[in-house]
Amino acid sequence: MPTLSINGQSYFSDSPPDTPLLWVIREDLRLTGTKFGCGQGLCGSCTVHLNGQPVRSCQVKLGDVAADSLITTIEGLDPSDAHPVQQAWIEAQVPQCGYCQSGQIMQAAALLAVNPAPSEEQIVAHMNGNLCRCATYSRIVGAVQRAAQLMKEETNHA
Amino acid sequence: MLEKNTLESGTAVDAAARPGISRRDFLVRSSIIAGSGFLSIGLPGLVASTGAEAAIGTPAYTPAIWFTITPDGKTTMHIVKTEMGQHIGTGLAQVIAEELEVKWEDVRLDTPLESVENFNIYGLAYTVNSGSVTTEFDRIARAGAAGRMVLVEAGAKVLGANVADCHAESSRVYDKVSGRSVGYGEILQKVKFDRKFTYPDDLKSIVLKDKSQYKIIGKSVPALDIPSKTNGQAKYGIDVFLPNMAYGALVVPRTRYSSKVLSIDDSEAKKIPGFIKAVKIDDSMGKCTGWVVAVADKFPTAMKAAKALKVKWDAGPYANLSSADLLEQYKQLAKDEKAGAAWVLEGDVDKGFGEAEKVLEMEYTTDMVCHATMEPLNCTVQMTNGEWHVHVGTQSTSFARMTLTGYLSKVLKKKPEELKIFVHQYLVGGGFGGKQDYDDILAAAYCVKEIGRPVKLIHTRESNFATSFARTPTYHKVKAGIKDGELLAMNQDIVCGWMGARFGVGKKYGTDWLQQDSWDEKKQDIDQWSIGGSDHWYYMKNHRVRAWNHEPTTWAVQASALRTVSNSYNIFVVESSLDEVALAAGRDPLEFRLSMLNGKGGSRGIPNTGYPEGTRSDYYMDQLWISLPWGKDKAWVPYESATVGGALRLANCLRVAAGKAGYGSKKLPPNTGMGIAVTAAEERQSPTWVAGIAEVTVDPATGTFTINKLTIVMDPGTVVNPKNVEAQIRGSALWGASQIMSEKLTLKNGGFEQTNFHDYVPIRLAQVPEIDVTIIDSGHHPSGVGEPASTIVAPAVANAIFNAVGARVRHMPISAEAVMTAMKKA
Repeated sequence: MPTLSINGQSYFSDSPPDTPLLWVIREDLRLTGTKFGCGQGLCGSCTVHLNGQPVRSCQVKLGDVAADSLITTIEGLDPSDAHPVQQAWIEAQVPQCGYCQSGQIMQAAALLAVNPAPSEEQIVAHMNGNLCRCATYSRIVGAVQRAAQLMKEETNHA
Repeated sequence: MLEKNTLESGTAVDAAARPGISRRDFLVRSSIIAGSGFLSIGLPGLVASTGAEAAIGTPAYTPAIWFTITPDGKTTMHIVKTEMGQHIGTGLAQVIAEELEVKWEDVRLDTPLESVENFNIYGLAYTVNSGSVTTEFDRIARAGAAGRMVLVEAGAKVLGANVADCHAESSRVYDKVSGRSVGYGEILQKVKFDRKFTYPDDLKSIVLKDKSQYKIIGKSVPALDIPSKTNGQAKYGIDVFLPNMAYGALVVPRTRYSSKVLSIDDSEAKKIPGFIKAVKIDDSMGKCTGWVVAVADKFPTAMKAAKALKVKWDAGPYANLSSADLLEQYKQLAKDEKAGAAWVLEGDVDKGFGEAEKVLEMEYTTDMVCHATMEPLNCTVQMTNGEWHVHVGTQSTSFARMTLTGYLSKVLKKKPEELKIFVHQYLVGGGFGGKQDYDDILAAAYCVKEIGRPVKLIHTRESNFATSFARTPTYHKVKAGIKDGELLAMNQDIVCGWMGARFGVGKKYGTDWLQQDSWDEKKQDIDQWSIGGSDHWYYMKNHRVRAWNHEPTTWAVQASALRTVSNSYNIFVVESSLDEVALAAGRDPLEFRLSMLNGKGGSRGIPNTGYPEGTRSDYYMDQLWISLPWGKDKAWVPYESATVGGALRLANCLRVAAGKAGYGSKKLPPNTGMGIAVTAAEERQSPTWVAGIAEVTVDPATGTFTINKLTIVMDPGTVVNPKNVEAQIRGSALWGASQIMSEKLTLKNGGFEQTNFHDYVPIRLAQVPEIDVTIIDSGHHPSGVGEPASTIVAPAVANAIFNAVGARVRHMPISAEAVMTAMKKA
């Protein structure tokens, strides 16, 4: 039975190996912050981190997740729900209906983890795969920039 | 809108007829339970009739009221409106908190359960038409003020002070003589009160705050629903789990509507471990036609089984219908001019054309679009101890309950009153008008009946597209007569599928909601939600709009309301064609518009004292009771109509937009143009004044266009939460941009061709232009902000494309090919 490490906890799933990771996370393990949007990797609502990389969990099969993989979902992004991206998202009041926002936040956090000071073009290119029907887009770029600033301040204070 | 099924269900009719009649008095009451009191505001007639006294005595849940203050000083606002991205709970709570004088930090929100009992208390739970703040503002403000008045009186008693010396602030009552104060929580524990405010006398005596006294209204307080939307804790309908729950996945029928299942072969599905049953949904009420649901222990298994099921259908009467056929049929319909129903009829249009020096004739068309909410439609149904519990995020828990009541009463052969149905509301992952149909609830309930377990039905993106409730395609003929540089007469003919019939709205179905009689002798029914927007606010001496209903469209594409409803296509046509007229008349589009936004005639707005009888383009609000500010007796008008000021407010928005965009003064790069559009969506009765200017660059080699900048100016009256209003304007503007750029749904052989976000293409981050938003807080009664800005972007962009490269595209959306073709004609 495959064992999964998610947000620092180990889980197992009895789903068949061809089951998309998304449904294991959401329905088997009930970590419902990760959302189903399209099932085809077209919208980004189901974005999680697999070994630090942002992936569309609807496109990852359970059987393809290597035994030593570390998975992070929105619930595990920060122990106090205060990751700089989360702080910036609240500060800028980004979410409207909010359904795509877990995916947006996970996508943004993955960018800042490897590029602490992205340009506007880099942010747009990195975030362009994440759909938002409420079109909260005009606050997203600014919020990512603000999160980068918060991260810098945290580093300076550390 | 009332569902036809609902009407048939008996109890629902009576219940639906009641709102707005007897829920005007307020009751302010406190209860002392085990030494702790709390205050609630309710509706006495209804409270008495439903025996809610007992309910009030339970501190944990108080359904009979709009808000509850508990002895710990916390105030919980009971929000009936759906939370679907507009942060409506926060906005409404701001209005109550302002008048109630509670500390904002002490405010909490909850959502009442939908049941027959609660419906009789709260009225219809229906979030639509960008109308929540417009319709609720006055009465919740008065409810808050009534609560404050009673608390001040009680607080004076506790302090041993004169009421006249006391005032409330930040959840405390202060005595200015002694300087002492007492908190609301303490007052509730010491004083018991039971006070009724009657309609209209006592309500009239409640003096609402002047705008200058506002402390919470007008502030961008952070939305209370946002933090949980950043950490995965927000709960949507799709996040529901019930013990022993099974999952359902839909087998997509052969056609969007009216397929009939002939046979189901489940031999392959049965080989899949976890597959439970292929349920053929009872579609005898004309809902869920041809639906088969694969039920399994897990959702991925249900999806696999749905693919493995071999279903044969009779594809029904629309099996050969495609988008091109619809357009052809629309053109044929419009040829019989006498059959059109006059929706606007001012002056003598034909005489005007006879006197004109120049007559322009234009044909416009628009494609279908769909809601494609990020959260696919889903719902979870449970039957336990004879009670049906529906867990869903919906725009109307009331209609969900009523529709299911009608359906189950037929399916189970029970009387409606024998059914106990409860609807539990969740956050909605995008509504846009797309979550006011209940097919999924009926199907899930039917599966529950068949397998005896709770069922969670989830649409895949593909089945969600296949069962879309589409915005109707439209065909328009516009004719304009020009003399001496003036528009002498204008006629717009509109053919489309009216949505009313599908919702059971219209005289034919026994209700006049949202219907107008035509102004011609025939007095035909006209579906306001399908034709509105063409009744714009420009003053035109001779103006006519005629409408034709293509009913096969209504059923074949399940025509429905989509953000701004008919304004989306009608404003596109009106505002595009006015630029064509201005050009032909030798006028500048800005100056031409301002000259007609003069506040004369039908564009003058409605005085506060009610509607003048018998004028043609002034409508009575009585029909649209969801926006009704006064009783049908018109004994007392508690607040002014949103139409006050009329087109003059729209003209002001346009002046500001022109100035901010640099219209006529900014030097533009090559192949770049600015285009103007204005709107007063949502309805004629509830206008929000908006002007927009788009700056667009066209690549003349390919016809592709880029929106560089949108300048948007809105006067929505009183602004409750500016940052939130700005978010709604930006989001809706981009919704409009998405519709003119790329969103397109087409019908082929009775089914929608698009299946997912690769072939149905909404706007993405990289396409977002600069948006300059200006909000004019004019202090008038607030009107809706969630939709109107979306209507002006499409025509503003079309006009900008023309001004950039001379290409007039009379179709929405605008493709690069269409721009190229139009450039060649220019």
